[in-house]
Amino acid sequence: MRRVIILALLYVGVQLILPLGEVGRGSEALLSFGFLILAAYTVGELTTVLGLPKIVGYLFAGMLFGPSALAAVSASAVGRLTPVSDLAIALIAFLAGVELRWSDLRASGAKLLKMLSLEMLFATIAVAALLVALRDRVPYLANAAPNNAIAFVILFTAIAVAHSPSVTVALLSETGARGVVAKTTLGIVLLSDVAVVLLFTVAQAVARAIAPPSATMSAASPLLVAWEIGGALFVGGALGGCVALYLRFVHRELMLFTMLVTFFGAALARVAHVETLLTLMTAGFVAENVSHTERSDAMRHALERSAAPVFVVFFALAGAQIAIREVIAVLPIVVPIAIARTVGVWAGCHVGARWARAELVERRQAWMGLVSQAGVAIGLVSLVSGLYPEAAAPMRTLLLSLIAINQIVGPILFRRALSAAGEIPGAPRPNAALATAPRASR
Amino acid sequence: MSAPFLLVLIVAGAYLAAHWAFERLGDRFLLVSGAEYLLLGILLGPQVSGLLHASVLDGFAPFMTLALGWIGAVVGSHFYVPLLVRTRTVLYTVAFTQAALTLVVCSGLLIGALAWLYELPLPDTVAPAVALAAIAVASSPAGVALLTRHRVRRGLVVRQIEVATDIDAFTAIIAFSLLLCVAHEAPQSAVRAPTPTEWAVISVAIGFVGGALFHLFVGSERNVDRLFVSIAGAVILASGAAAYLKLSPLLPAMLIGALLVNTTRNRDEIREALMRVERPFYFVLLIFAGAAWDPGTTAWWIIPALVFLVTRTFTKLVSARLAARLNGMIPLLGPHWGRALLGQGGLAIAIALNYHLFHGSLLFPDVVFTAAIVSVMATELSSARLVHSVVRRYTRRIFETPTPAEPHPALPPDQR
Repeated sequence: MRRVIILALLYVGVQLILPLGEVGRGSEALLSFGFLILAAYTVGELTTVLGLPKIVGYLFAGMLFGPSALAAVSASAVGRLTPVSDLAIALIAFLAGVELRWSDLRASGAKLLKMLSLEMLFATIAVAALLVALRDRVPYLANAAPNNAIAFVILFTAIAVAHSPSVTVALLSETGARGVVAKTTLGIVLLSDVAVVLLFTVAQAVARAIAPPSATMSAASPLLVAWEIGGALFVGGALGGCVALYLRFVHRELMLFTMLVTFFGAALARVAHVETLLTLMTAGFVAENVSHTERSDAMRHALERSAAPVFVVFFALAGAQIAIREVIAVLPIVVPIAIARTVGVWAGCHVGARWARAELVERRQAWMGLVSQAGVAIGLVSLVSGLYPEAAAPMRTLLLSLIAINQIVGPILFRRALSAAGEIPGAPRPNAALATAPRASR
Repeated sequence: MSAPFLLVLIVAGAYLAAHWAFERLGDRFLLVSGAEYLLLGILLGPQVSGLLHASVLDGFAPFMTLALGWIGAVVGSHFYVPLLVRTRTVLYTVAFTQAALTLVVCSGLLIGALAWLYELPLPDTVAPAVALAAIAVASSPAGVALLTRHRVRRGLVVRQIEVATDIDAFTAIIAFSLLLCVAHEAPQSAVRAPTPTEWAVISVAIGFVGGALFHLFVGSERNVDRLFVSIAGAVILASGAAAYLKLSPLLPAMLIGALLVNTTRNRDEIREALMRVERPFYFVLLIFAGAAWDPGTTAWWIIPALVFLVTRTFTKLVSARLAARLNGMIPLLGPHWGRALLGQGGLAIAIALNYHLFHGSLLFPDVVFTAAIVSVMATELSSARLVHSVVRRYTRRIFETPTPAEPHPALPPDQR
């Protein structure tokens, strides 16, 4: 409560200062940014009292003080802070890669692929079916020609099934969860990053065949897609190798070094036209698994130490970018889509886990970690905007609203799953028997 | 390849290489790292290679403001009152006298020198001269820190140098911040332009109110990561507010730093959180400063810089000697102890950058900035050697047992 009062006083102070100054040189952005950090931190602490993840608080703070509500942070300030957000997401991707162990992947790779493929299939079917069913109510679809409507559904669905590595990593970092549900969810989410890019490329090709795009944007050739993914693995692998060499021969200033590596990796990926998140995840994965255990542990600790402020910044800015009015306007359509997607994720994950003979706890809880959405999905939305400008505005609004809902609901569900699986250190273990019982005995 | 990308790449490579080299060379040869980053910035900037354009530097302006604020907060965190009261008053008297004399004498000399060099009336040169004098007061604490780490026992001379560098930083920040309040332009949007006194009150209020609020905000938090988030938010907010009002971020951030370390129980954690990114900020600030350097339109830009260097050296040495003499400390400190204060570092650059980048309407921003750069490049590398020359000569006196009949009043009770 004390922090809320202080925050209110700071808000009043900022409002008093604003008329006295002049906009320029980014000082207004800095002023807003400082306030946003403190606001996100405070709201994040409040949400933990309510049993919610901190990142939900960061998002709420961003929404509350962002341009679409109290406007303590202006739209121009949010725009000016985009590089900070980009750096944050790159760091999160690198951290995600560092969290993955080769031995774990080798042991559970087949299981992850089975769960991921069925989960994506079921979610795709559920979302597509609902869009078709709600066709008359969905903006653009209601008046679109049949082939255009099909293209819209295909592209929408391909983006709607994406997951959020950033939310997963942030929550695992916040809770310190280490267990089978945490590992499985992280593995699926990271693999899905590759799968979504592939799926979107296929969807794009099919959509173009059905409804030739009105824009003159060139098609993504299979070779380009192969380079985007293969190149990301190659560039990320090389970068990870360099990081491993640094860890071996220099091993100093690790926090600063990892920050620079992520910034460099993100810029390198842009220059090489490869998938940024995949590049950094691969870099983190290679660095973690090639380096000596002690050295890679030190790097992971350095990353985890710098992660807390990064999460505050990233999710607060993500919240500030949510256009509340637009989300509210399309809620009657987006909520059923979100529910359908969640049901699809649940069913697919459940069936996939059975097929893979996963543990009962994974079968019951892992789906909850796959509801969140962010990062990749937002990037793909802008790609569609370039391809079908006439469908861009309604699709963008719908997808960003869907992402906003899943971004808030997802972390709550994932925390619940981790808690139910008894994987949060220090938290009560309601399903301890379930979490620890061997599969054969169930 | 984009310029920011190139900048980060070069900065990263240079930082790590220089850090690694200086870690090894610094202790052995008593070299203080810093000036090489400034040189690197100059080489990358528009004056030499042109790899970094002015537009790129403009994009990093918020970051520079934050770096200024962070330096201010770190300076403020040195003023921990329970530790300060354990130091003998005479050391503060000497330090304050030395800083005040340097400020006043330097201001006077530089007002005259600038008026003569640029053929301007004396009142026109007051603002740049006072800014230069504030820069002249600042002295680098890096030299004495390097020595006390491994080589020198902490005694009266070392403590005097430490106190003097802290007081120099305090005086320099106060003088410069007040200058900006006095020379503040009227904002276009305000109904009535605040007076210089009101600007000064606003500047101090951002620091005091901010510090008090952040003290309550931080509470009894002991987790360094969480503290880091709060403190980063606090410094960013205060720096942003000051820069937005065209005031110096150094003063509010210094007050916040001082208030936080004095009013909370988690002083060590707060200092750890502040120190965590101090060095990267400092070095990046030096590179930006080097890249932003512009000698101006005159071909003889080096002359005012040399005049500043000579004036500062002379004033610092004389002021230190006079301050010691007035307080009866010459026997303990020696007549040349002011040499230990000749090294200049990050704070000098921060003040000059603040003047140069954010207050372009003031006179001679290029001259002020060039003078600070020349001074740092000339003195920082050897600042530890300068301190060593003083400490080595007078260390014997520190541990000398005074005659029981007449203990020197400056010595702490346990050494009397």
